[in-house]
Amino acid sequence: MAPRVAVVGPGAVGRRVAEHLAGSAEVVVVARRPGKWERSVNELALALPADVTVLTASEGARRSAMAAIDSGSHVVSPLDDPVEVAGLLALDARARAKGVTVAAGTAMAPGLSCVLALRLAEDFDRVEEVHVASFGTGGPACARRHHAALTGLSVDWVDGRWVRRPGGSGRELVWFPEPVGGADCYRVSAADSMLLQPRFPDCRRITSRMAATRRDRLTSWLPMMRQPHPEGLVGAVRVEVRGWVGSCATTRILGAARPPAVVAAAVSATTARWLLEGRITTAGAGGLASLVAAPGEFILDTGVPVASFEGAAV
Amino acid sequence: MKALRRTLLAVGATVIIAGVVRLRGTGGTPPKRGGWRELPPDELA
Repeated sequence: MAPRVAVVGPGAVGRRVAEHLAGSAEVVVVARRPGKWERSVNELALALPADVTVLTASEGARRSAMAAIDSGSHVVSPLDDPVEVAGLLALDARARAKGVTVAAGTAMAPGLSCVLALRLAEDFDRVEEVHVASFGTGGPACARRHHAALTGLSVDWVDGRWVRRPGGSGRELVWFPEPVGGADCYRVSAADSMLLQPRFPDCRRITSRMAATRRDRLTSWLPMMRQPHPEGLVGAVRVEVRGWVGSCATTRILGAARPPAVVAAAVSATTARWLLEGRITTAGAGGLASLVAAPGEFILDTGVPVASFEGAAV
Repeated sequence: MKALRRTLLAVGATVIIAGVVRLRGTGGTPPKRGGWRELPPDELA
């Protein structure tokens, strides 16, 4: 009998996750109505029990996750809002008690960024710093998140403690893989550091930044002036790891350039598939950096081409 | 009326200065050498 996967939210990511998994599992897509999480949970109950539940709709995600865990389903969530991610990580004890996995932040950043950092870390004897930068947005919900992230508080791991700084500060020119190229990136309210720190507790610095234009920064404190586009077609992620290889201080950089919704769907579908195949066996809640044992194989399974920056440091 | 004018002037000046501070400058220097190379599967795994 084919395993059963429930996908909550038929948006830019959910639709693609369903397409990815259609050949290997029975996929049930749960359409939800904005503002009515009760209905969403009720509709999800019809799709349960499922072997894996993929939550792509932000509203009511925690309650949907609790319903899924209680039914014995693994949970995969590409939501990147730090509040939603923290809410899912808080379900760790509940997931452990049920012996299921809650994979939080399975998008582009966080998500692919976590496995890229993990893959880079394999080449180091000691990792000192991890820096994540991302460019672009997926569907409309992702665009709204990007808009809000610039006014939120950025939380970075610096010298053994969490440091909060205003979003939209800390401009840095970051060089992404083509066709994106160079883009100014800023501190934002993002979940990357939160998901990477448990895997790299001895790191000196873990930071995340997001590309934004001057107009984004100027209007970030206002409501969105116009309806976000249906889907961002250009996106990229770049992960820089600094540390020691033997006695040599080394910096290595990996990146990928693909539309964010495409990457988020590929990473979420691969996570779901690995859970179904028993290749992720850790019970509890965590990011991909804490759950994936073979990051190189995972990246290959996503089908997202990855590039390495070689030459002068940026 | 005078107080209102002064308030508006102060708010206007603050907005302009804040805007300039927020938007000026660039984030750094682009790399002079090097570039991206797509990793073959055997290097990644």
